[in-house]
Amino acid sequence: MSSRWIPCVLACAVLLTAGMPAYAQVDFSGQWESLYHEDGPERLPGPELGDYLGLPINDAARLRGDSYDADRISVVQEYQCRPHGGDYSMHGLSTLRVWREMDPATQKLIAFRTHTQFMGMERTVWMDGRPHPPEYAAHTWSGFSTGRWEGNTLVVTTTHFKPNYMRRNGLSRSDHAVVTEWFRLHGNYLSVTQMVDDPVFLAEPLVRSSNWVRDPGQRMNPAFCEPAPEVPKEMGTVTHHLPGTNEFLTEVADWYGLPRAATRGGPQTMYPEYRKTMGKPEKAPPLTCERFCVCTSLGDCQLRDRR
Amino acid sequence: MSISRKWLIVPLACVVGLASSALAQQNQIDFARVEMHVLPVQGNVHMLVGAGGNVTVQVGKQGVLLVDTEYGPLVPKIMAEVRKLSSGPLRYIINTHVHGDHVGGNEELVKTTPVDNTQPLNIIAHENVLNRLTTPVTTRVTPPPQVGLPTTEYFLPEKDLFFNGEAIVLYHAPNAHTDGDSIVFFRRSDVISTGDLFTPERYPGIDLARGGNVAGIISALNRIIQIAIPEDKQEGGTYIIPGHGRLCEEADVVEYRDMVTIVRDRVQDGIRKGRTLEQIKASKPTLDYDTRYGPGDTFIENVYKSLTAKR
Amino acid sequence: MIRMLIAVLVAAPALLAQTRTSKSAAPVDLTGYWVSIVTEDWRWRMVTPIKGDFASIPINADARKIGDAWDPAKDEAAGQQCKAYGAPSIMRIPGRLHITWQDDNTLKIDTDQGQQTRLFHFGGARPPKAEPSLQGHSSARWEGELTTLVTQNLGGQAQASQVTGQGRALEVVTSNLRPGYLRKNGVPFSANASLNEYYDYQKAPNGTEWFTVTTVVTDPTYLRVPWVTSTDFRKQAGAAGWDPTPCSAR
Repeated sequence: MSSRWIPCVLACAVLLTAGMPAYAQVDFSGQWESLYHEDGPERLPGPELGDYLGLPINDAARLRGDSYDADRISVVQEYQCRPHGGDYSMHGLSTLRVWREMDPATQKLIAFRTHTQFMGMERTVWMDGRPHPPEYAAHTWSGFSTGRWEGNTLVVTTTHFKPNYMRRNGLSRSDHAVVTEWFRLHGNYLSVTQMVDDPVFLAEPLVRSSNWVRDPGQRMNPAFCEPAPEVPKEMGTVTHHLPGTNEFLTEVADWYGLPRAATRGGPQTMYPEYRKTMGKPEKAPPLTCERFCVCTSLGDCQLRDRR
Repeated sequence: MSISRKWLIVPLACVVGLASSALAQQNQIDFARVEMHVLPVQGNVHMLVGAGGNVTVQVGKQGVLLVDTEYGPLVPKIMAEVRKLSSGPLRYIINTHVHGDHVGGNEELVKTTPVDNTQPLNIIAHENVLNRLTTPVTTRVTPPPQVGLPTTEYFLPEKDLFFNGEAIVLYHAPNAHTDGDSIVFFRRSDVISTGDLFTPERYPGIDLARGGNVAGIISALNRIIQIAIPEDKQEGGTYIIPGHGRLCEEADVVEYRDMVTIVRDRVQDGIRKGRTLEQIKASKPTLDYDTRYGPGDTFIENVYKSLTAKR
Repeated sequence: MIRMLIAVLVAAPALLAQTRTSKSAAPVDLTGYWVSIVTEDWRWRMVTPIKGDFASIPINADARKIGDAWDPAKDEAAGQQCKAYGAPSIMRIPGRLHITWQDDNTLKIDTDQGQQTRLFHFGGARPPKAEPSLQGHSSARWEGELTTLVTQNLGGQAQASQVTGQGRALEVVTSNLRPGYLRKNGVPFSANASLNEYYDYQKAPNGTEWFTVTTVVTDPTYLRVPWVTSTDFRKQAGAAGWDPTPCSAR
C-alpha cells in the first residue's frame, strides 16, 4: 500500500473504534491485605453464637445453626484441619495472594490462582473456557471455578463445593450452592462482591462484598495442621444441641440490646423496612460498648477494650 | 374355601406384591435412555455412574473386578464402558448387598462372560446376601435367579483378596443398610466402595425387613471414616465411591455421619420422652436436613423402628 | 507528516468526546430505584450502634474521644440531626435510592432516609467555591480512559494504535465536606475528609441487577488509614417501599 494512504487508514480506524469500548484484561496478581472495615468482630475473633443478623436463611439453616456445638471442632478430629470454603475464605480471615498461570507458548491466561493465609486455602479460577465437571465428580473445599471478563471485571462462577460455613457459628453453606463473584481493581484496592445461591439453606441469595489493599511487603506463613485427639470421647461422638436446648442463642441479642427475633435472621432482616417491624429488644442495650469496641485487625480486636 | 387355604393366600399375595413392586421400580426406568459415565478415581479404580447404584471398576494386568452390577438390562452399556478401560477378562464381582440395583447385573454378566474353567468368574458377597437372594418369603427384589448368585461367601468380619497388584479387603457391616453389607477397600488405590451404607444425596435406606438398623449404619459410617485418611486439610487421600451419588472423600462421609447421628439422637430423645412415632415426626427432627436429602418421614420411621426394635 | 498524523490521531478521541455526553457515554445504567441489602455491619447500620462501639473503623485516639462524648440530644438541640447522613456515610444507611440524570452531565442520587440529594458532576470542571456541606462537591467520571498510542516501526512508518482498556465503574471524588459522623453513634469525620467511591454494576445469574459502591474515606484528622467499605444495592422495578424519612440523631 502507498505510504500516503496509511494515515487515512489509521485515522479511520481510530475514528471507528474510538466510540467502541475496548477492554483490557486486569491483572489481580499480588499480595493483598484483607481490610476488616466491615463486620470486624464477626470475621476476626468470630461471630457470636446465634447471630444470624441480616442473613437470608431459611428454617433449615436456622435449626442447623441452633444445633451447632463448637466443641465438635475439637471432639471430632476430622473437623480440626478443615479450611474455610473457597467462598467463605474471601469473607472470613482472608489475607490473600493472587497470581496468574500463563501458557508459556501463547502467553494466554490459563488461570488465576489464589492462596489465603488461613489454613492455606487455594483456589484456581480457570480462564481457558473449560466446562465445569459433571455433577458426580468429587467436590472440594475450594470448589471448581471458571472466570470470564465483563469489561475489566472478572466474573467467577464456582460449583462443586464441599459443605462449609456461611458464618462460622454453625450456619452452613451446602454443597449444592453456586457462588458468583465479581472481582474489581480500583487503584490499590481489590473489591470482591460475592453472591451465594444456596437452595438448601437460603431463602434468597446472599450478597456480601469484601475489600483488600495491595501490600507488596506482606508475607504469609505456611499453614500446617495435623489432627490430634484433644478430648477423650467415644468414637463417633458428634456434639450438638437437641432442638430447643441451646441456651446460648439469646446471648447476642442481650449483649448488644437487639430484638431477639432479629438475631434469628431471615430474608426480611436484610431490608430497610425491617427496622419498623423488628420491635423492641427484650433487654436494653448497654449505655456504652462492652464487647469488641475496637476491631479492625487481628492485632487490635479484643473482647474487652484495653484503653 | 378351607381355613388353611385362606391363610396361605395372604402371605403369597404379599410375596407376589413385594416382588412386583421391585419389578415395577426396575420397569419404571427407560434403560435405553440411560447413559453410563466413567470417572477415573485413583490408582486402578474407576467409578461407573448410571441408573442404579454406582459400579466400581478395578482394572489391571489380571483382568477386571466389579463392585456391584446395577440392573441386568444395563450390562451391555456397563461392559462397553469397561472395555474402554480394559480388554482383560472379568474375574471378580463383589456385591456390597442384596438389593436389585446392585446385584441385578450378575446374571447377565455370568451369561455373557466367556467360561474359563481355570479361573471362573467369582462372585463374592457376605453370606447374608446369598441367604437373602435365595429366601423368597421376605424378598422384595425380582425373584432370585439361579444364575449370578454369589459363589464365594464370607461370614467372618473380614475377607481379603489380592488382585491387580493390590490388596482388597471386605469388611462386613452387620445390621446396617441390610444384614449383608460389605465395605470394600482397595488398599493401594486407596479407594473405598461403600454400597448403600453411604448415599450422599439421600437419607440412608434402612431395610429393616432384611436386618437393617440405624445403629449399624452409624457404626459402618464410623468404620469408613476410620479407614479413610485424607491427604491434606481433610481433602484428597482416600476416595470413597458411594452406593449412589457423587464421588466423595472422608469429609463428605463425616458430614453424612453427623446427620445420621444427630437425627438418631433427636428421635432417641423423643422416644425417651415417651413420644409416639407420629409425635416425633411432627417435631420435625429432620427439618435442617430435608432441604438437602429429601423428605425425611421414611428415614424417621426407620430410625424409630430401629431404636424400638426388640433385641 | 508523522507529526501531523500523531496530532490527528491523538486529537480524534477528544473531538469525538465533545459530541458525547456523560449520559450517552455511560457504559452502565445506574438510573432507577435501588434498595440497600443489609447483610453486613447489621448492628451498626440497622440499629443505632451502642455509644463507644467503634468496631471496624480505623479511628485514632482523637476520634475516640469525640465518639465517647457523643450526645444525640445535643445534636438535636443544635439542629444537627443530619450529621450521620453526609456523603461519607449516607450510602451505609439502610434505605432506598432514586438515581436519575439531572442533566446530560450530572447524575443525581436522592435518598429516602434523611432525604438527601447527591449530585455527581461529570466533565472535570473545577468545583465552584462553596461553603462546605454535608454532601460536599462530587466530581465523577467513568473509570478508565480511552487512550491512543502511535508507534513507529523499524522502517519509520506509523503503526497501528494501541487502545487501553476502558473501565465500567463510576468513579466519584467528593471533597468540601462539612464535619459529620461516619456512624450514627458519633464516630466523627473532619472537614479534612475526602471520599473516593467506585460504583460497580453487576447483573446476577438470576437476572437481578445490583450495584456495589466501594467507599474509601480518607481523613488524616481522625482515621489512621482510609476506611474502606462496600455497600450493595439491588434494583427495584419501581418506587415500592420509598419511605421519605427525615434525619434522626438517634
